[in-house]
Amino acid sequence: MGIGREDALDALDALDALDALDALDALSGNDALGGGGGKSPLTTEALITNRDGIVGARMGDIQKPVIGAGNDVRNLSRLSRRVRGAVYQAELGPTVDITVNMDDPCLPVATVWRKIEDNGGATRKLCLEPMVTMTRPTVTQLSQQLKLVLGYARIRPDRGAEVLSQVGVPMAFFSSIQFMDQQRTPYTMELLMTALGFAFPVIQRVKYALAVKRPIEFSPQVQPMIPTPTHGSLPSGHSTEVFVMARVLWKLLMESGAPQYNDRALWGTMLMRQAARIATNRTVAGVHFPVDSVAGEQLGLTLAEHFYSMCCGGNWVSSTFDGPNFDATQDFDWHKLYDPDGDKQAETAETNGKVWATSKVRTDNKIDAAPALAWLWGKALAEWQDFGPCDCE
Amino acid sequence: MAQHKDDNGFDPETIVDHVTFFRLNAAGIQSVVRSETVWWSVLIELDGISIDQFVDRIRERDYDTFLIVPAAYDSDDRSVVLPFQPVTVFATTDLVQYLNDDRSDLGVATLRVGGIIDEMFLNPDAQSAPLSDIDVAAGTVVQAFVDDGMGIAHDLFRSGPTSSRVYFAQIFDAVPLPASPTSIGRTLERDDINALLTDCTYNGVLDEELFYTRSGQVNLAEDVFSTVANRASHGTHVMGLGAGHEMSGGVDDRPIICAALPSRVVKDTSGVDLLPLVYLSFHILVKQARRFRLPDGGLAPVVFNFSYGNLEGPHDGTGIYATMFERYFGPDAQACAEQPQKAWLTLPAGNANLSRLHAVNGRGLTDTRIKLDLVVLPDDTTPTHVQFWMPSSGPTNPPNFAKIKVRSPFGTSTISIKAQPGQAAEITNDNGARVAWLAYRYVGGTTQRGLVTLSITPTASVEEISDLAPAGIWTIKVRRRAPAGDDPIHIWVDRDDTLPGHGPGGRQAFFDNPDYVRFGPFGAPLPVDPPGTDCPVRRSTTISGFSCGPSPIVVAAYTEQEAVLSDYSAAGPLNPSPHMTPPPREGPDLAARGDDSWVLRGVYSAGSRSGSWVRGSGTSASAPQVARLAAGEIGTSTVDGRTWAQDAVRTHPFALEDSPSVERAGDGGIKLPDGGP
Repeated sequence: MGIGREDALDALDALDALDALDALDALSGNDALGGGGGKSPLTTEALITNRDGIVGARMGDIQKPVIGAGNDVRNLSRLSRRVRGAVYQAELGPTVDITVNMDDPCLPVATVWRKIEDNGGATRKLCLEPMVTMTRPTVTQLSQQLKLVLGYARIRPDRGAEVLSQVGVPMAFFSSIQFMDQQRTPYTMELLMTALGFAFPVIQRVKYALAVKRPIEFSPQVQPMIPTPTHGSLPSGHSTEVFVMARVLWKLLMESGAPQYNDRALWGTMLMRQAARIATNRTVAGVHFPVDSVAGEQLGLTLAEHFYSMCCGGNWVSSTFDGPNFDATQDFDWHKLYDPDGDKQAETAETNGKVWATSKVRTDNKIDAAPALAWLWGKALAEWQDFGPCDCE
Repeated sequence: MAQHKDDNGFDPETIVDHVTFFRLNAAGIQSVVRSETVWWSVLIELDGISIDQFVDRIRERDYDTFLIVPAAYDSDDRSVVLPFQPVTVFATTDLVQYLNDDRSDLGVATLRVGGIIDEMFLNPDAQSAPLSDIDVAAGTVVQAFVDDGMGIAHDLFRSGPTSSRVYFAQIFDAVPLPASPTSIGRTLERDDINALLTDCTYNGVLDEELFYTRSGQVNLAEDVFSTVANRASHGTHVMGLGAGHEMSGGVDDRPIICAALPSRVVKDTSGVDLLPLVYLSFHILVKQARRFRLPDGGLAPVVFNFSYGNLEGPHDGTGIYATMFERYFGPDAQACAEQPQKAWLTLPAGNANLSRLHAVNGRGLTDTRIKLDLVVLPDDTTPTHVQFWMPSSGPTNPPNFAKIKVRSPFGTSTISIKAQPGQAAEITNDNGARVAWLAYRYVGGTTQRGLVTLSITPTASVEEISDLAPAGIWTIKVRRRAPAGDDPIHIWVDRDDTLPGHGPGGRQAFFDNPDYVRFGPFGAPLPVDPPGTDCPVRRSTTISGFSCGPSPIVVAAYTEQEAVLSDYSAAGPLNPSPHMTPPPREGPDLAARGDDSWVLRGVYSAGSRSGSWVRGSGTSASAPQVARLAAGEIGTSTVDGRTWAQDAVRTHPFALEDSPSVERAGDGGIKLPDGGP
């Protein structure tokens, strides 16, 4: 799957990875130095006359450069962030596929498949394993959930600033927990935006498959405090994305070896609380049912695990969300699907004997990490590793 | 508009309480209140009969299925016969109507209807359970709070991650648990709270959203709402100031008991009166406080705080709230108890000093006639109520002290009544629906005053209803008659404001007389009435109607940096009464910090969530700070609460540079030695 710039889509207003990478480019200083040659007519004209002035007669034989290193991650640091982003997405996109089972038109089932490469090189033979299977809830269930949406409207005045600030990528909120900054941790932010850029088309395709209507279509009293996005309600894109962010960040911290980050699971718990609050704020705003956040959490956690395996290899997770089995009187409770202590997704989540979510750690059909992504992970991880023991204290 | 006077098909003299009559009969809420499933909280005052006898009478008349007597009244409470015994009950609309008819002869002397209680909060099968003793260490002082939005899981009220200092919490707005010993809402004992804390703690971090869902305080799917769902909640802020301690400090000699009053019921647009549930709260918490036993067998002292206020009359120390607080905190409470327990109560002076909600006819006015411009705002979805309290009189044949005339906006309709039994008049609109009700009744007991009430229907509704009142200036004329002599007639507008975002959306009516001087020569608000003013609208006697009794410690608010009394802090004096001489107080007893500065309004205290801090302003914030100090000293004090407060001002003085009068600041400002939580 590929991704291009889609400024026209409302959803990309929220989490457009490539736009954000552009912003990083701007901050790199290249533009300020005129490095974005060709963008300025004045500079272009100047370069033409300048060449005319200094080029001189054609030179004789010149020593040839060393041939470029093909498929070599050493090239990555010489690429612009936007170009690197395209490379990452080219690696990630083909690793998943999505199908929709419409045997029961009332209950479409979307499956996100993980592609397993059997042999590389000039020829490819692929097999597929289901990674996320998601069945949409019934309209009756959503009608029941509407009571929660209307109830949450009561705290809109209290959450207004948060809701508006979290329409876009809520980097500031995660940065307030985990010390991120464009200058301090540029690769971590690049890593996150890469994960989001990968997740976005998956989310949209699943939403499109399940076509769950928004709360605003269930009652004239919802009256959301922000415009309702035009895409489907379940899974919540924000929920998916923030749980991707939270889990990826938590994995970085755990791997960093820094003692404070490995004190119980305090950082991980706080990152998940942050993700849950952002997801819930979409219900407060009136654009999501709580069950959308539940499904989004399951999708986000699973995609994060897949993303991690693409960066570092190793196990992966397959999971399900069975909407009709979800108790529609229940609110969103993130603990039911995940425990940051040990970085574990719940094997089953059930209410009154009905299993509505499952997950399984898969040790089979592993695929190798993509070198470009492994490079990025290594760069990001280094931003969290201490320089070494200090005997100052 | 048309006026109908004494032509209503009934005898106004048979109405026990005219506000109750008005609320239950407003056309706009008929669809709500007529439902058999609508329950009201009601405070009745039994006249010489026990609760059991009252229930028997109700049963004899086949109303027993429409009545719930809370399980909080145990068998002793139910069998005792007192000359006047206030009791909170829950009753359906039909029964309330029946109780409000003087001819029903049920032994009910007075009646006050509170708010609508959602049926899902009631548990008619609840049974009173015996209360076990709680053994506490020497030096323990119990702190009790009646408020709303109580963040009981806040770390300032815990002595450890899963160890609460809250030993008892009555949550009125919560779906009852099976076998719960309370007829309304939910009660949580300390063990319950600790279990919830444990259940909701993940990896050492408490999930408070989950806690308040499981405690029953917040259930958004069922529209069960508490302001603990918000960043700031009144009860949490107040309790933090009064009893908050760092969790790491391991404070274990300040157990907390509390009652969380309900949030306003959105569908109840008849106006909300919390009196019945406040009364029930104190009844419950006073019993709970008596569970705490010191090693010597005595009862641990207790300091209550109730940071609420209203403007209800008569402001002479004989009102229903003053009576209630004397019952629990007055000298007789100690004398009558089986085992005495030292109990003090701190109350706020109120914040209505500049709100233009009080007027007076008398007290230095030269003219016997006053005219008041009552601004009733548009988009007010709750009724407006105004009280006119006559001078005190004997128990029989009260003289005709005044004539009261009311004219609707634009002069379309005028009514008037004399201050005499049986007098009532109404204004109807073009649809024939009643939009204003002016009526007289005599308030007996120790008050012995005539009371005229003016009730005006809402000016707006999202429903198609017929009885909307016109917004605008309602003109009120009060003419004193000779029997009144020099005794003043006091007029108060009831509190009717609703915070934005909260139902049901009341807007505060106020007096807007042109001769009321709001600002001084330099543009600042005038905190006191100009000397010699003839304007009937007054800042004086705006002290909270809750805070007029002899025993509570009443606290005004000052602004610390400027060292002046806060402009909003309400003042005395009280309304003179021959039945309460000398007046129980001139005004508040003392003043504490209500604001850090003119710029930094309010003071910091607990936000709804652990580790969070928010600002809260007003005498609601100053009162619990005094409660905090009182809790530290009640154990060793040998005097009553108010005397202690006088001493405390001398021990911990805070000099107020504007030298406020005794009526505004009592004995003066106090500086808390430890600065609060």
